[in-house]
Amino acid sequence: MRKTKIIIDYSKCGNATGGIDPRQCSKCLQVCDPAVFVRHMAFNVKEDNPYDPQFWQITPVWLSLCTHCGKCVKACPQKAITVTF
Amino acid sequence: MCDWCMKHGAGGKWYLNARNYSYELAESMNLQAYLEEQWKNFEQVYIRKIMGISSIGLGYKLRMPIIGRVLRWSAERMIHSESRNRNPVRADGHFGQVIPIEEAKLIMLNLAAEPIIQNYCMCRMMQKGIKDVCCINFGVLSTVIEKLPRFIPENTKVRLGREEAAAVLEEQNRKGRVTTVWFQPVPYICAICSCEAPQCGGLRLRMDFGLHTVYKAEYYAEVDPDLCQGCKTCIAGCQFGAIRFSPTLKRVLIDQSKCFGCGLCRDRCPHDAIRLVPRDENPVLRGKY
Repeated sequence: MRKTKIIIDYSKCGNATGGIDPRQCSKCLQVCDPAVFVRHMAFNVKEDNPYDPQFWQITPVWLSLCTHCGKCVKACPQKAITVTF
Repeated sequence: MCDWCMKHGAGGKWYLNARNYSYELAESMNLQAYLEEQWKNFEQVYIRKIMGISSIGLGYKLRMPIIGRVLRWSAERMIHSESRNRNPVRADGHFGQVIPIEEAKLIMLNLAAEPIIQNYCMCRMMQKGIKDVCCINFGVLSTVIEKLPRFIPENTKVRLGREEAAAVLEEQNRKGRVTTVWFQPVPYICAICSCEAPQCGGLRLRMDFGLHTVYKAEYYAEVDPDLCQGCKTCIAGCQFGAIRFSPTLKRVLIDQSKCFGCGLCRDRCPHDAIRLVPRDENPVLRGKY
């Protein structure tokens, strides 16, 4: 069985790592029919406060439900998503 | 009645036991601090590693030969945890049950603890990026959520009266969403949600991975073959894929093993052909939640 891999380039997406703020975009979340992506607060941005509600990122979580439709790759304005399977 | 009715139902259904809504119970479990810690970063619940394993690619992990079984067992144990030293960064003891709209209104009008608030659905916000005012929270949880600005709806009333909250639930039900009542954590009840697959975190884990985050209702739907006209309206309303149309019989068939008993098809049927039957009355479906 081949596993789906979705790689997000966090230098383009995610405001903790130098990309855009995912709360303003979220195009991939909206086009994905099986809702594979999850938008959440970024981890461990600062040592003293691991959950800063200013910093967000997107992680593909439910990879086994991905249907390889490729809509997220086309929809991403930053061209940050790659899907391999 | 399910195991949770036996444990926390006081002789009835667990969600109709007034003790589970009380402030005394919340105080005895020290829930204010627990829920504040949990809701501060609740979106991270799937990404956070639990015993070195996160939910990323959960479907693949559950299919692994032995590890998958252990993972399923530990996930079920976590979801239904009644331990006193629960970890607030996981969804310990947070599970729910589908209820028909009339029981949701009964809870809203009689049992839910004040204050009652409406807020953005967290599941829809984290998985679709859509801000949708539909979740009704009450008791301790509403005071916790009111401190978190990202869940507070703009240009809408946040605190609701009992009738208003019941009207919101009915409106969401009419839109085609499944009404669910939630333990958070067991046995304290503090939320009634209007869920929609596949964005809902609870329905996702139940329907795609078979984990018991959402139990089926105490009812199941049954179609009256004489009254059904074959208009197929109910099929569009079912979130669980339990209804199909038979061209030979010119009526719909309900797969009762898939039916969650939410009552959406019954409310949509223009011919009153569908009714909800208590699960306990059926010898096969009894105990299958």
